[in-house]
Amino acid sequence: MSSAFPSLRTRPTLPAVGVSRATSVYLRNSSTAPVHSSVTSLNSLFNQTNLNSPRPPEDEDCKGLVCRAFVPHIAVHVSDDTNELAREKGFVDFKDMLRPYGESIQGRITIRDSQGISTTHDDYGVRFVSLTDVAGSGEKWETGASRAMNGSSEKATGSNGSGVFQGGSVEEVEELVNLHMERAEELNETSLPSDGDTSTFNQSFYMLYLRRLLSALPLSPHETFSHPVACVIAISSRNANPIDSLRNLYNSGNQLPLPDYVSTDYLRYYVLVHDEDRDDIKKSTLLFDQMKKHFGLHCHLLRLRSGGASVISDDDAVIVPKSQWISAAEELHEIRSRDYHDEQPTACLPDSDATGIQTMVREMAQVSVIPFMERCIATWNDQVASRRRGISGRFISMSKRYFSSSSSRNSTPSSSNYDALNQSYPPSSPEAQMRKLADYAFMVRDWRLAHSIYELLRTDFNNDKAWKYHAGAQEMAAISLILTGTGLTSKVRADTIAPMLDLSCYSYLSRCSATYNALRCLLVAVELLRTRGGGAADEAATWAVRAREIIANTHTPNTTTTSIGHALITERVGACYSVRAGIGSGAWGARKRKAAMWGMLAAGEWLEVAKLAQSRRCLDSALVMYERSGFAHVRGFVEHLKRQAGYTPLLVDLHDRDRQGNDGGANNEDDDEEEEDEGVEIQSEMLHAGLKRKSLVIERGEVVAEEAGNGLDRFVDS
Amino acid sequence: MSFYFAIVGTKDNPVYEAEFGTSKQGGDGVARFREEQRSMNQFIVHSSLDIVEEVQWATPTMYMKCVDRFNNLLVSCFLTAGNIKFLLLHDQKADDAIRQFFSDVYDLYTKTLMNPFYEVDMRITSGVFDGKVKQAAKKYL
Repeated sequence: MSSAFPSLRTRPTLPAVGVSRATSVYLRNSSTAPVHSSVTSLNSLFNQTNLNSPRPPEDEDCKGLVCRAFVPHIAVHVSDDTNELAREKGFVDFKDMLRPYGESIQGRITIRDSQGISTTHDDYGVRFVSLTDVAGSGEKWETGASRAMNGSSEKATGSNGSGVFQGGSVEEVEELVNLHMERAEELNETSLPSDGDTSTFNQSFYMLYLRRLLSALPLSPHETFSHPVACVIAISSRNANPIDSLRNLYNSGNQLPLPDYVSTDYLRYYVLVHDEDRDDIKKSTLLFDQMKKHFGLHCHLLRLRSGGASVISDDDAVIVPKSQWISAAEELHEIRSRDYHDEQPTACLPDSDATGIQTMVREMAQVSVIPFMERCIATWNDQVASRRRGISGRFISMSKRYFSSSSSRNSTPSSSNYDALNQSYPPSSPEAQMRKLADYAFMVRDWRLAHSIYELLRTDFNNDKAWKYHAGAQEMAAISLILTGTGLTSKVRADTIAPMLDLSCYSYLSRCSATYNALRCLLVAVELLRTRGGGAADEAATWAVRAREIIANTHTPNTTTTSIGHALITERVGACYSVRAGIGSGAWGARKRKAAMWGMLAAGEWLEVAKLAQSRRCLDSALVMYERSGFAHVRGFVEHLKRQAGYTPLLVDLHDRDRQGNDGGANNEDDDEEEEDEGVEIQSEMLHAGLKRKSLVIERGEVVAEEAGNGLDRFVDS
Repeated sequence: MSFYFAIVGTKDNPVYEAEFGTSKQGGDGVARFREEQRSMNQFIVHSSLDIVEEVQWATPTMYMKCVDRFNNLLVSCFLTAGNIKFLLLHDQKADDAIRQFFSDVYDLYTKTLMNPFYEVDMRITSGVFDGKVKQAAKKYL
């Protein structure tokens, strides 16, 4: 895998001063990458984007992560002149400019749930996607089966050729995490831990993995999270005949070949982008008033500066935040293009522009999109769901069942709305509308309503043998039930959640062969259960083991190699066990031994994929349990791992062992370690305990590097 | 069907370990573990102590039946009055046979404990003890 990106390592250090281009105006971050030495320049190269982006402060907030993964998607359909304006600012298109600001909306968003109770959320977000991408990706998804069979060849053309990036590929996510890991490992070798981020650093690869799995949810008939809720239609003030082009955009948006299962009655939101430096604000205001008259309330005037006439100074420029939820394919593409082309400067916007966009996104969400969703929920709940829930609805569904069983058994086109050929429901059918209702309720975080609708849908889909829909409803029913936050007793977990997850996995895997969906379902459930702690953490671990098996099964062609994902999940099993705290003085009921065992297994698996730093980290946490274990084979296994990983024990342990007179399990490492002791002692006293090993590693850098090299070689050879 | 049997002391230290195969259905009583499985066995048995510590307060009997599982391997436990754990790793459910086996081993262990030169948590190296445990295994498992 590393051979695919040789330029990552071999590239000489680039001067950070970019070459100004003739056509496009880039604003540069004035403090880009001061070059100190070859080491720090490497550091700064990645620091800007990669190392910071996957590590937001709320790293461990798993519930928040899941909440922010399922948010409304807003399609963007704009005129060419608007895209042109964004391109002049250094973005790919208008959507690219909006996207980072949609991911975390500034301030609080108030949502009224089905009971009429308002709740506020301060971490709400929306996703901007291009409408043409939605149309394009839908087609690809429909040929998903053939794509899987053809393997990688089609995938390569799909992701590079059309420029549409879509999530839902486990391999790409693993590849990306691998890349990040390699870089981090390189940096680790060469730089001192400056900001003490070693502990947060550890968890983040799993969080990155999870985040990328949940990023850019693929468009699919069985769930509507990635179907557009609204569509932004924008023109710029440069347009000669604005009202006409708006109308054209409206029409062309409708005529785009969206997949059949995507409903087209989404909200239209009209935006006029005003160019402050070139055009007259009076004209734009007039036009905007006209727009309001034509299209009603859902309009916005966005004022941007283009730097046409007056020069924009760097002083009030702010860096555009990096997009957190881009698909793995897109990030890979980004990293690769950064290698081949010139270094792209960090995107910046004038302060006023950034605030303008933020205000627009916020207003769009709070005033238009969320109320629109609330209205949809209320309407569908009244008209579709309550009819289904009532006595007559039950009667209809029951008679349908009997009718279908009395007539021909497998093909019942008259009684069911399910289109078995396309494996989807038409968007106007009550089932599709209810699924949409449930998804909307989920996205506005009305878990209770969502859960009740998913419950209804479960049986319907089962009767229609719509397996993917069935699996999806089971998955979301379980997840929304965990999210409701009501007492999740062990009985509820065993009787309700476990069978739901089980059935969902079964349907996804054996009936639809949708590994990605099954994996996503399990990992989300694992995280949510893990945060509940107590007995739920135990169950989280068992589900994580299940996910681990799924990952193992996907790599059947070359069974000998463990994948990164496998190792990550193995480590996560240990993390699930370790959250469980014991009771009383003896900590009865804690799972410290289990956590240690999974840590050891993970260490072994990291070695198999030649990630020594990860392996050492796992050893660090797990060794405490086994350092003085009396089990002979366990000791042998641990010593073997330590040798392979080039592990240097913590200084604390060394001293302990010396003091206790070394209980028989003397290993040959001890001799030379004692020599090193004095050299490092002074330094270690000043350093934080977590950093001690680092200092040791640097002191005896050659030894470790050599050992590590040996370990690697062995794996490469075998 | 192969078994791994361990007596674990009060400080998570192994007091006695043995491996044997089934003697039922024409088995020859020899364990068939691959080399890498040996360390795994010990890991599994050791980690099941977590569960034992939890279950011991909720079970009135000394024999706790099957307490833990790892993939297809099961761990049964018998807790003596002195907080010594008998742990048996097996791959098929056989509650009664294991109960009888454990009670025989408990007998043997108690006799060892009566030896004035033996202290709690000391490793049992006696060949007689070993032979008798193997006999019990042959008889019941």
